[in-house]
Amino acid sequence: MKKILTGMLIAISTMGMVFAQGAGETASSGMTPKKTVLKLAVQADSTPATQSVIDAFNASQDTYTVQWVDMTNDSNAMREQLLTSLKSGSSDYDVLSMDVVWAGEFAASGYIEPLDVRMKNDGLKVSQFNAGSMASGSYNAKQYVLPFFPDLGVLFFRSDIVSTSDAEKLRSGNYTWQDLADMAAMYQGQGGTKDGFAFEAKLGEGLICTANEFTSNWKDLSGGLAIMKQLADSSVTPADTLNYAGGDVNNNFIKGNSVFSRNWPYQFGQIKVNGTISQDQVDIAPLPGGSTVGGWILGINAQSKHKDGAWQLIKFIATEKGQKLMSTNGGYLPGYNATLTDPEVLAANLLLSKEGFKNALKHTIARPVTPTYSKVSDEIQQSIHKYLSGSASLDDTVKAVQGDLAE
Amino acid sequence: MKTHSQKPFYISNVIVAIMVVAFMIISLFPFFWILITSFKPSSEIFGTTAFQVISKDPTWENYFVVIFDKNIIKSVFNSLIVAGSTTIYVVIIASLSAYIIARFTFTGKSLLMGIVLSVSMFPQMIVVGPIFNMFYKLGILNSYFLALAYSTITFPTAVWIMVAHFKSVPLSIEEAARIDGCSPWQTLWKIVFPVASSGVATTAIMTFIAAWNEYLLAITLNVNKEYQTVPVAINALRTQYSVFWGQITAATVLVVIPTIIIVLLFQKKIVGGISNGAVKE
Amino acid sequence: MKKLNWKTSLFLLPLVIMLATFSFYPIISSFVYSFFDYQTNDQSIANLYTTNHFNAKLFYEDCDYLLFYIPDDAALVDEADRAQFENIMDSIRTNMAPYKDKDTVIRLNKADIARLKTFVRTTQNDLNTIYQNNTERQFYNKENNQLLLNEMKQCFITPNNVGFKNYQALVHDPRFWTSIKNTLVFTIISVFFEFLIGMGLALVMARAIKGIGSIRTAALIPWAIPTAVSALIWSYLYDGSSGIIAHIFAQIGLIASPQSMLLTAQGAMSAAILADIWKTAPYMALLLLAGLEVIDRGLYESASLDGCNKVQTFFKITFPLLKPSILVALLLRTLDAFRVYDLLAILTGGGPGGATETVSIYSYKVLVGQSNYGYGSAIIIGMFICVALIATIFVKILGTDISN
Repeated sequence: MKKILTGMLIAISTMGMVFAQGAGETASSGMTPKKTVLKLAVQADSTPATQSVIDAFNASQDTYTVQWVDMTNDSNAMREQLLTSLKSGSSDYDVLSMDVVWAGEFAASGYIEPLDVRMKNDGLKVSQFNAGSMASGSYNAKQYVLPFFPDLGVLFFRSDIVSTSDAEKLRSGNYTWQDLADMAAMYQGQGGTKDGFAFEAKLGEGLICTANEFTSNWKDLSGGLAIMKQLADSSVTPADTLNYAGGDVNNNFIKGNSVFSRNWPYQFGQIKVNGTISQDQVDIAPLPGGSTVGGWILGINAQSKHKDGAWQLIKFIATEKGQKLMSTNGGYLPGYNATLTDPEVLAANLLLSKEGFKNALKHTIARPVTPTYSKVSDEIQQSIHKYLSGSASLDDTVKAVQGDLAE
Repeated sequence: MKTHSQKPFYISNVIVAIMVVAFMIISLFPFFWILITSFKPSSEIFGTTAFQVISKDPTWENYFVVIFDKNIIKSVFNSLIVAGSTTIYVVIIASLSAYIIARFTFTGKSLLMGIVLSVSMFPQMIVVGPIFNMFYKLGILNSYFLALAYSTITFPTAVWIMVAHFKSVPLSIEEAARIDGCSPWQTLWKIVFPVASSGVATTAIMTFIAAWNEYLLAITLNVNKEYQTVPVAINALRTQYSVFWGQITAATVLVVIPTIIIVLLFQKKIVGGISNGAVKE
Repeated sequence: MKKLNWKTSLFLLPLVIMLATFSFYPIISSFVYSFFDYQTNDQSIANLYTTNHFNAKLFYEDCDYLLFYIPDDAALVDEADRAQFENIMDSIRTNMAPYKDKDTVIRLNKADIARLKTFVRTTQNDLNTIYQNNTERQFYNKENNQLLLNEMKQCFITPNNVGFKNYQALVHDPRFWTSIKNTLVFTIISVFFEFLIGMGLALVMARAIKGIGSIRTAALIPWAIPTAVSALIWSYLYDGSSGIIAHIFAQIGLIASPQSMLLTAQGAMSAAILADIWKTAPYMALLLLAGLEVIDRGLYESASLDGCNKVQTFFKITFPLLKPSILVALLLRTLDAFRVYDLLAILTGGGPGGATETVSIYSYKVLVGQSNYGYGSAIIIGMFICVALIATIFVKILGTDISN
């Protein structure tokens, strides 16, 4: 009896293996009779934008068809997956989407191809694209990426709570962090809010972005860090600010719990989808220290067997046609500057016409572009989080961060 | 073996019973909480409403998303196949080796046992890079061959347990088999293996669960959504912007169901007892 | 004990082959890596080099880029300097030609390396001369060319075997020792409680009373849930704002506030230990159950005939006979707990501020996170040495019988 059962189990699992393998193969080979497949490694998109761009590309020409390789939404895990794959010399992906801070490392490791020659041949200039994104992908005089969709940290505030004069001051960007702290304390509790100001201070990359902004691109370390701690410790911010990731800030603000919040633009769209407040109660302002650039960029795998096709795909996504689709279908910020003033894009994207947002776009700061970004970021995060949780002094922390940045 | 109500009423029995009940409550409380959370809409999952036991507005939404959009069922299926095949080959190979170790002497036996033990002293990340390269060159990434990579984490425990159980099989049984003319192969599979069945069951479930739980190798080798296993699929519900607790809890509930079935099937065997009627002394 | 012949030694073959391929080969590779300064995010040390090599691909690319950038600057200067630029470009073309299709790093003899190094130096000097002669002009690519030439210097790869340097650094690395401490704290406390609870559980599970099947199943479920999933569950239960367990603990005064569960060093460590105990006590129970099973029932019968009560039976019969299994179970479980990764990585990420960073997490961060395979491997070997020490203690001092 047992033997029969065991035998059956073995048979079933072997069959399962074989069938599943076969199914996988026929599925992909059935899709592509003659066209070359380009594999695009991108995270899942909660909007239809990415798929619409892929469809448009496929429809626009006959040589290539795109296969979207769905990467995990955990960015750290995705980076590690990409690194493991690229280290083994795999040509499994043709076009890679990368977080802005990965480009320096990927370029230094020789995993992505420089694009200057291709850009010149197709008449594209660096200045036509989002400055922060392009800077993040420029390493040793070579341009390695084109923007997929840029992002920048901004201040969200409740325009229905804040006074008109204060709102104007915020939108213009002519205010300091201390001003913001005072305003947060003043308005806290009004209009159904509990907290004054919500921001990310959890140990993670988000902490680097906010610290970058507090310290004006690392120039005012002691002042910026001090006020960051002051805010985190005070009752103006939520009690577990030190464990607040972007998602927590988002939840807090869109449920109407705080008057001010520092977050990425996606929060604006979230208000409509999941929020209990409405978009016309909210306005945007630039941050005192400048806005950290985030978002994603595209590069060609240096080991890809279809580099020309990969370039066609990147070009399509990053210029007019692709960027317009990303913006109108997903609310993403266009990385192609000309698209910023396209009427259809402006109509679909309330943020782009907001004065505060336009001001924020003028003052963007980038995180360091270095092959050892992961290590540098990790060390700075540890130092700052230790300081914020009270286990290190300000002076020691300032020294530590300066040392890390010098690397 | 069942001796029932003839036992007098001991106070110790009551104490034990109370402790067991308390333990069960602690053990199962998280699951209870996960279950009720999975029916809550996302607006109730955060903040103070999270502490309500009964949701104000229960919904099947989370389950729909997780089953139809996020393909949890496929990942459960993948996990079952990978864990199942791991269990099968590990039990077979470990039995073969354990039998030799338990019953035969040979030079280098301590060395072999030491090596088997030392393999379990290295963390799993040490094998991630080289095995990825190996699988890439062989073209077996994103497949069920992931099961082969689980040999590192499952062999040491499997061999240990099997050795212990094989040793406890009375020699007289094997003697009888040899007198009857059985070869070592036959002795192992027809005599020793069935008698040590509780050990086999224990090894099987430990191997299965070890493979079922594994995260690091799965996320590195099986990137493709078609071949993702459960830990990877559920972890992917955590994005950089928000954590979909509703979906995670719904997915967890869906994963617990096959888990309960598997454990139910195995637990009886684990305590099967040995030598039941095998030897007439 | 019988003697092995060649037929029965074949029985061992599958195990040996699998271990050799999937366990040994990676372990030996890691061991080798630890003696090199091997980091993949720097192309001059992105492999194991024991002799001089040359990154032909990068060299060709950089030369190509120089040819791409120079013409724009050449257009700005007068005839004489433009001719100079042309000369430089010719020299570049000659030197890059042999490497047109070389897609990788190649071996190169001393003479060629010397020649190429001179070429790079000369090109740099010649370009600088022209630029200095024309300080009033706004060149497009002065800095770019500088960066390219600097990168070209990185193409000359020298051996990166560093002997024991990684290990020296390891011994002086405070983060490593902190992680060892964290790992020990985690391991000792969780194994201790898991043993106690597991022992009790095993004794209960061994009984043949009504409903034992469902009790056993219910007790084993926490262990059967994937670690990654239970870590996620617990991070929700411990959440500062929405976590029910954090809320309850704060209400009954175990912790200062719900947030301190994951935000303070001690809170986070306790949270992780608690989650691990919840998950793994059943596993310990299983290991001990396996040992309980092997005890002859007859002994219990004669004990009860002699009038021993439960406690006496336990300490005089069960415990001594169980001792070998207990030691093996403790050893296995300690080794497992020392290598913990999934639970902590997902629950706390090693935070807050590195308070729950175990050796596995640290080694993973260095190895895959920072692409430093040399140092990361050294950390792993360091971890192995610690674990081997623990195992030795178990075997020699506590008398665990590993060769049975």
